[in-house]
Amino acid sequence: MNKIDSRIEQSSISQDNNTWFNFMPVFSVLLGLLMSGLMMLLLGYNPLIVYTNMLSYAFRDIYNIADIFAKATPLILTGLAFGFAFRASLFNIGAQGQFYIGAVMAVACALKLGSLPSYLTLIICFIMSLIGGSLWAAFIGYVKARFNANEFLVSMMLTYVAIAIMNFLLVGFLKESKGEYPQTDVIPKNGWLPSLIPHTRLHWGFVLALLIALLFYIILWRTSLGYKIRMVGFNRDAARYAGINVENVFVIVFFISGAFAGMAGFTEVNGMQHMLIEGFNPIIGAEGIGIAILGNAHPLGIVLSALLFGALKVGGNLVLQTSRIPASIIGITEGLVILSVILSYYIRDKLIILRSKKKLVAQERHKL
Amino acid sequence: MDAKCNLITLKNITKFFPGTIANDHIDMELANGEVLALFGENGAGKTTLMSILYGLYQPDEGEIFIKREPVKIRSPHDAMEYGIGMIHQHFTLVPVHTVVENIILGTEKASLKYLNIEEKVKKIEKIGNKYGLEVDPFAIIRQLPVGMQQRVEILKALYRDARILIMDEPTSVLTSQETEKLFNFIRDFKTKGHSVIFISHKLNEVMEIADRITVLRDGKVVGNVFRQEASESQLTHLMIGRDLIIPKINDRVHPKPEILKIENLTIMGDRKSKAIDDLSFTVREGEIFGIAGVSGNGQEELAQALCGLRKAKSGQITLSDKDITNKDVLSIIDQGVGYIPADRHKEGLVLDMSIEENLFLKNYSNPSFLHYGFLNQNKIQKNARNLMRDFEIKAASSTSRAMTLSGGNQQKVVVAREINIGTKLLVAVQPTRGLDLGAVDYVHKTLLKEKKEGKAILLISTEFSEIMTLSDRIGVMYRGKLLKIVQRKDAKVDEIGLLMAGITEGKKNKKN
Repeated sequence: MNKIDSRIEQSSISQDNNTWFNFMPVFSVLLGLLMSGLMMLLLGYNPLIVYTNMLSYAFRDIYNIADIFAKATPLILTGLAFGFAFRASLFNIGAQGQFYIGAVMAVACALKLGSLPSYLTLIICFIMSLIGGSLWAAFIGYVKARFNANEFLVSMMLTYVAIAIMNFLLVGFLKESKGEYPQTDVIPKNGWLPSLIPHTRLHWGFVLALLIALLFYIILWRTSLGYKIRMVGFNRDAARYAGINVENVFVIVFFISGAFAGMAGFTEVNGMQHMLIEGFNPIIGAEGIGIAILGNAHPLGIVLSALLFGALKVGGNLVLQTSRIPASIIGITEGLVILSVILSYYIRDKLIILRSKKKLVAQERHKL
Repeated sequence: MDAKCNLITLKNITKFFPGTIANDHIDMELANGEVLALFGENGAGKTTLMSILYGLYQPDEGEIFIKREPVKIRSPHDAMEYGIGMIHQHFTLVPVHTVVENIILGTEKASLKYLNIEEKVKKIEKIGNKYGLEVDPFAIIRQLPVGMQQRVEILKALYRDARILIMDEPTSVLTSQETEKLFNFIRDFKTKGHSVIFISHKLNEVMEIADRITVLRDGKVVGNVFRQEASESQLTHLMIGRDLIIPKINDRVHPKPEILKIENLTIMGDRKSKAIDDLSFTVREGEIFGIAGVSGNGQEELAQALCGLRKAKSGQITLSDKDITNKDVLSIIDQGVGYIPADRHKEGLVLDMSIEENLFLKNYSNPSFLHYGFLNQNKIQKNARNLMRDFEIKAASSTSRAMTLSGGNQQKVVVAREINIGTKLLVAVQPTRGLDLGAVDYVHKTLLKEKKEGKAILLISTEFSEIMTLSDRIGVMYRGKLLKIVQRKDAKVDEIGLLMAGITEGKKNKKN
């Protein structure tokens, strides 16, 4: 026993010098900001001033700080949606559609249920948006399992279907009573998520998103279902050989992933917009993909990345309002940050592989 | 000039892979108009050597001469420049493209010029006529039978003016008629003054087609004989090598109960032919039953059926009087069957998961590890600690990823887990493939220990020495049937070697 312990100690030294790899995402976020700073220079703006303004605007007062968290809320959820499927090596790029279905369900319940007690309305809206998103996504999992359809294409195409359904309902069943624009009426107050900090837009949906992030972690790393999902993600052959019904897992994963995206519809409708407007939040799904990748599909990483994006949005919007800088610069910054983080993961993996290869070759030479 | 001058000479070729020397100072020669067979067991280094000649690997030491000129072959492209073409065991065709598209792939420079397909088709048809390799140039690869696909591979090489063809186990995917056609082509190709290097571990084919046979074992050349001077038993001896020292076993007189009983089992293979054909045998408690045979004779399918990964067409598999035919994987695991798969990276391990999680791999539905669907982390850790101690798995910690382990320790993880699960029966397929000698020894000792403790073990291996050292009884598998089952003490190396090639006593006499 002692012998083994000392051997473990000996070799654990070599593991420790990998820890600086964990800081690589932070460095690459900074690198992304640097690159978009160069872009601003080319456009004739001083990036230092832009960034300072952004920071000072974003953290100017409690209202703006709270807004960062409010903006991050749906991003956390769509990020979790992509990240969850990604853990099973599946690609749910249709979070946008699931989000819309969730939003439609939430707004329909809030508008049509009438005067129920507030908590009951909220619970019903929450559950219905969850079910809407998850069933919408489970269909992707089902066709993947049954017909080996490409989940990329199916999830993307279903988004267009979801948009069409939403638009159809906005000019019919859910149309505002004035009948002017393709949008709904404002939902009654009993369907509003209470605010977390008074006189700000931050609502309890943020706490819900954090709880869901925790749930994400518990499912994947603490339950036997999560263990199966991760095994399917890493090695489908080994999963089959261990007796896992891989096709069932596909459906379950999409079901859960869609539930997360559907909830984002709930928090946006009941917490933020209090109505549904045609074409609102059109890139929330795409941003979720970036956030999930930025956060390495880990719930903590996803929450932090969503907050970063929230801050960029709040600070960026105010910079845009107070200067003549083009609006697209925020999108470019987001894009460059994601790009440099993806590259850093790639480089990190290469470095780790290279290092362990070198070690192995050295060992073998020694042995021979 | 001598017509049979040296075309290719390999000198002192050496190639290291982690843990092994794949090629150990190999010298080899190939003459014009010659069919050279590279003969040896799986893992003897045949494919590695040819991959070096084809530019896929760079040798760590040694030189290659073509027509007595030293050359460096850095890529398959270089090899083609020297007229060397290789037909891989697994085809390198684009399944959804046509024959002609596959053949010209990579030969055309990217340009905006009109691609004159007709011209290419004519050239392909001309080559096809010349060598008797006719094929519809506009057929889609996916829709062609395997034999035709191989023909396209050959045409691909010939289109690039190959004068030397390297064929890696070309018959392993073919039916016997297709094999006959391939051999006719090789003979024809030879008479036109070209050369073929034929990689094989099938004795009868080597004897049929080769002019000269170079035998490899453990990365070394152990023999080089002309066919006329070669005999089947001599080649078998060279291939298996080391005169096996067979340890004495004390035969128990009283028969132990049967654990595994297989009756009239028939299994269909992937190619809709019978992979296992009306097979029957039993494995008793405390016995190792070894199945010897060249790979691809149904061993893989048999193992899969035993573990619930493949359905049997007919027949019955019984485990301790319980019918487990066509049961699902989980219920077979619950019955106490452990399965060490041939490919530990593909099936046995999840390399990205920790050692702990890998040791737990098949217990995810075991109630003793769960608490209302939640994983009992303490139990998982304890299980890992115990197994790591018992099986001497050397690792930084139980939470390091499985990919950080050496090959031997990875296999120990698989063996530890499967022995733990397989309380009654252990199915071990190639349990020592790719391991260094120390690890091989460890796995062997472990299997013998488990046997002593009363487990039934079915050992499936293409390594003859492994079968001979471990088994109590040996069955030789050929084309989905057991040709013979013998007690190890009665087993004769030569006889079994010939049986592995499908040559039974009766057949041999007829041939002579």
